[in-house]
Amino acid sequence: MSHQLSRRRLLQLATASAAGLGLTACGDNGSGGVTGADGDSGRITVWSWTTAAEALRGVVPSFERDNPGIKVDVQDVGNPAIWDKITVGLASGGKGLADVLHIGVDYLPGYLEKFPDGLADLSALGADRYQSDFAEGLWPTVIGKDKAARALPWEVNPLGLFYRQDYFDKAGVDPADIRSWDDLIAAGPKILSATGARLLGLDKPGTTPDMDFFQNLMQLQGAFYFDRKGRITLASAEAVQALTIIKRLNDDGLLADTAGQGTRKRLLAQGKLATSPDPAWAVEYLATKFPDQKGKWRVMQPPAAVAGGGRSVIVNSTYLAVATSSRRRRAAWRFIEYALTKPAEINRMFTSGGVFPALGAAYDDPRFSAPHPFYGGQKVLKTFVDSLSAGSEATNFTGDYTRALKLASDAQSQVLVKGADPARALRDAAERLAQQTGRQQAA
Amino acid sequence: MSSVLPERVPATTTAAAPAGRGAPARTGRARPRRRRLLTRGSVPYLLIMPAVLGFAVFKAYPIASSLWISLTTGSGDDRTFAGLANYRRLLDDPLFWTALKNTALILVVQVPLMLGLALLVALALNSTKVWLRPLWRLGVFVPSLTGLVAAGVMFSVILNRDAGLLNWVLSLFGVDRVNWLGSPSWARVGVVLVITWHYTGYNAVMYLAGLQGIPKELYEAAMVDGAGPVRRFVSITLPQLRPILLLTVVLSTIGTLQLFDEPYVLTGGGPDNATLTVTMYLYNNGFKYFDFGYASAIAYALALIVSVLGILQVRLMGERR
Repeated sequence: MSHQLSRRRLLQLATASAAGLGLTACGDNGSGGVTGADGDSGRITVWSWTTAAEALRGVVPSFERDNPGIKVDVQDVGNPAIWDKITVGLASGGKGLADVLHIGVDYLPGYLEKFPDGLADLSALGADRYQSDFAEGLWPTVIGKDKAARALPWEVNPLGLFYRQDYFDKAGVDPADIRSWDDLIAAGPKILSATGARLLGLDKPGTTPDMDFFQNLMQLQGAFYFDRKGRITLASAEAVQALTIIKRLNDDGLLADTAGQGTRKRLLAQGKLATSPDPAWAVEYLATKFPDQKGKWRVMQPPAAVAGGGRSVIVNSTYLAVATSSRRRRAAWRFIEYALTKPAEINRMFTSGGVFPALGAAYDDPRFSAPHPFYGGQKVLKTFVDSLSAGSEATNFTGDYTRALKLASDAQSQVLVKGADPARALRDAAERLAQQTGRQQAA
Repeated sequence: MSSVLPERVPATTTAAAPAGRGAPARTGRARPRRRRLLTRGSVPYLLIMPAVLGFAVFKAYPIASSLWISLTTGSGDDRTFAGLANYRRLLDDPLFWTALKNTALILVVQVPLMLGLALLVALALNSTKVWLRPLWRLGVFVPSLTGLVAAGVMFSVILNRDAGLLNWVLSLFGVDRVNWLGSPSWARVGVVLVITWHYTGYNAVMYLAGLQGIPKELYEAAMVDGAGPVRRFVSITLPQLRPILLLTVVLSTIGTLQLFDEPYVLTGGGPDNATLTVTMYLYNNGFKYFDFGYASAIAYALALIVSVLGILQVRLMGERR
């Protein structure tokens, strides 16, 4: 290994000096890579993590029964270890990658951008016929530079606003009147004085980046750190609006500080938070962590970031893809198709692994319209399904998401801890991001 | 001692003998034995061979490799030679300077504070008037046995603003709640607190060993001459401790410059990068942004700073001839 590396580097050095200008000495992404094949049988391996891996294993018996000749080995690589493994594998031309890869939306666009041939062309294998079967907003994410589909959506996490019905009642606030964050900020002081609970909590100093809320507020306006072309939009009007909402919450004393290990959970347990903007997975989280608060919580669609604006957001989503280096690409595709396009299989995975399906047909299952006892019999899952059918914009995470996240987190801390001006803090962050990544800022 | 190659070392030369003198006269006798592997000259080299090999593979190779990486950009194996671009970027990077400033601040405040405290503790523990000395010594040393991450997690609980032990204790004295991890200046104090708690005992034990090595006669003689306790401390204790003082200063300086675990666990470098250290910034660039070229450049910049400071300290505090 080390010998190969050093020889490769020597070659690079030699090439560089031969070019005389320090020209790029690196090979393209395909160099030294593994050439895959379209094998249709044999043993395929799948990389996923924890509960999702467990859920995928549940699909294997019926898949192997229906597809004799293909054996599936699902491996729980762990999260975040899986990102290092996939990144290194793609960077070395596909060496050592599994046949099927489970990839999150925060990584997929970066992979498609940096390794355009790393993931197999699924359109060629017939993926396009499923284009309209998944929740809106997901398909653009799976499209590579050449317009071919490179992954299939599996999981989608729409955002909801969980709120304490008992607190709203006590303060005389009707949830139906809450349509935008303006409405909620106006109702906040009433709830605070009636119940002593603040509206929501954020890690103000950013001891761990707590940017989901900021991102959601941008996404509600169809914006993000980057636009579809990968240009920086961290200083856009939408971003400033998002951070301004957070500043207003803080200035009005409606924002609790959740810095420190377990603080947020403690505040929730003590009933110090009146709402919690969370994705669909929180349905079971709240129910199992705070069983004594049974009947007190409800869910509504998130308030709009601007009056009259959109009220549905996909917080995150995950996908299955086939490595181009796989020697059994057709067999791997068969498995993905089987697991992700059959309502029975995908709902089996929802039950066993809590993976909220992206497949529209899955929602016909009665479980998505069943009343939930923890939420006073509210059909909570239906709230999320309705939110998805309202459609939402795709989000471009790009390969520089982690840098953007860190700089945005700094900007948020500056506003919350030092009272900085949102527009100014974001302008500085956007400039720094441009300097670090070499990306252009959108006009 | 000498850099003479193994086959040139005369078999009969003892380690203490100067390498050059007398050697030619004995070469004649040594020559017939040259083919033997085990000679008195070669055995030391054979004995250090495993360490040298280990160093070459696990230290020298990564050191050289990261120097090369620091001159490139790209991801994974896909590297492009970029000359000094990463180092130039370093000079223009406000976050790097913030990290450097934070590290320097912690260094200037924390190291003298901790070493002074350690010296006081060592003097107390060395006093014959203190009861149960072994127990106190153990108690003072125990914190340094705690894992760094465990210490960080523990202090994040203790320093919690609303439910932390420290704010509760302060409230007993009527002091308002301090936002330990939430305000930039208090967060720095918090980090200093953890490091001081963790390493004071370790340094105190080193000083204690030094104190016990000072001959009693020196103090007796000084007392006969009429020197008071302060005079004895300044004129005998401190000069006698000089080698250990130097050692602890250099080690603490290097340790602080490499500070990572405590702020990583306690504050994540926040709020707004108030506790971001150089090593944390290095980690972020390497393992969060996968920008190993830039991370390597930071590593080399840090190594340079450590070396310069180390040499300066040895020059300033070392034995004067």
